[in-house]
Amino acid sequence: MTVSKEDEVLLNAYLDGELSPLEAGRFEERLASEPALAAEIEAYRLLGAALRADSGEDMPPRDLRDRIESRLGIGRLSSGKSRTWGNLAASFLAGAILAGTLTFGALNQQSGDQLVSEVVSAHIRGLMAPAPADVASSDHHTVKPWFNGKLAFAPVVPELGAEGYPLLGGRIDVIGLSPAASLVYARGKHLISVTELPQGRALPAAGSRSEHGYLVLSWSEGGVSYFAVSDAAPEELANFVKLFREAAAAAGRPPA
Amino acid sequence: MKFERQDVDDRTDHARFAEVFLPHLGDAFRLARWLSGSRADAEDIVQEASLRAFKAIRGFGGGDTRAWTLTIVRNTSYSWLAKNRPQSVVLTDDLDTASRERIDQSPSEGGETPETVLIAKIEAEAVRKAVGALPLPFREVLVLRDIHGLDYRAIAEVSVIPIGTVMSRLARARRLLLAAMSGGGS
Repeated sequence: MTVSKEDEVLLNAYLDGELSPLEAGRFEERLASEPALAAEIEAYRLLGAALRADSGEDMPPRDLRDRIESRLGIGRLSSGKSRTWGNLAASFLAGAILAGTLTFGALNQQSGDQLVSEVVSAHIRGLMAPAPADVASSDHHTVKPWFNGKLAFAPVVPELGAEGYPLLGGRIDVIGLSPAASLVYARGKHLISVTELPQGRALPAAGSRSEHGYLVLSWSEGGVSYFAVSDAAPEELANFVKLFREAAAAAGRPPA
Repeated sequence: MKFERQDVDDRTDHARFAEVFLPHLGDAFRLARWLSGSRADAEDIVQEASLRAFKAIRGFGGGDTRAWTLTIVRNTSYSWLAKNRPQSVVLTDDLDTASRERIDQSPSEGGETPETVLIAKIEAEAVRKAVGALPLPFREVLVLRDIHGLDYRAIAEVSVIPIGTVMSRLARARRLLLAAMSGGGS
């Protein structure tokens, strides 16, 4: 074969689409005039096709995933919530549906009502996910810095464990196609999500609403809108919001 | 629902593992199968890789989850092979000499049968055998490129080699494979 080592490398890079458009153009000119190169390219193409065809049957054994999960104790830990892959799949599906809703929301000049729906959806998504928070910690010194670089504002992260609302962590939700900070607290068996949105879009008036069986309390403070979502008893959520606002104000946030 | 601190951390680790590693189980298995040459060995390797991935999951700093997964499977394959089949892991220095010899000896004159005709008729089993005969570092880049479809940059990351080395190894791997296929056919 008359193909040099350098040409060999070039030819492979061409085949793999790794040449710049300029380089690729030059190489194609050479291909047209050098049959040895063209023949080699053709051989490599067939080789690649043969390789990919052979790989089709390479599926892992069906029970491999189960074995890995049981070895890592994933089944054991989630048994309390009887989390199964079906559930997980459902939560992915919910995520996909949520993503669809968001696009729809963007097309439709977001109203405040839609924002509330999205906040509730994000809360539900958190309940379905393997963990309700992306950063899990009861320490606001861990949770607050986690949001750095993920948001264009610094969320307030009060600790209300002493008051019976332990902080579980935080996550980023996408509300109205923008990232928002959500904090997750527990109240007995119930979870409370507090979503913080910087203002500058259509926002609902402060108040309470019920959506899909979840109570949403919203308020604004210091240029940020807050939504607390939970299925806890209304008075417990109201008490939580009161404590949250007091703690936030005490933390140096400009009070309302 | 009680949320002990540790419990929450464990739940997060499991969740991350489920999101980062498990979706690529098919890729993981395929890479291990090609590198080890056997399904049974690939199962061992993937199980071991999953333990490593789980332990390292907090260190995953975002980015390409597939490349991260494949890197761990690749490294596990190497250590597994070094332990269980030391003769199959060739040092790069040896490899360069060995491959140079093989390239020199390969029937590259062509003859009356064009390579293309032979390649078109290759049986899956023959491809598999020829790939299995490639020295491991060559097989690795070839599989990452042609089976997994990674681009050169991703291969460089997974294999921890410069892009230039990816290119030269890939060129050699294909040359060797082509030589083996056309040589083995006649």
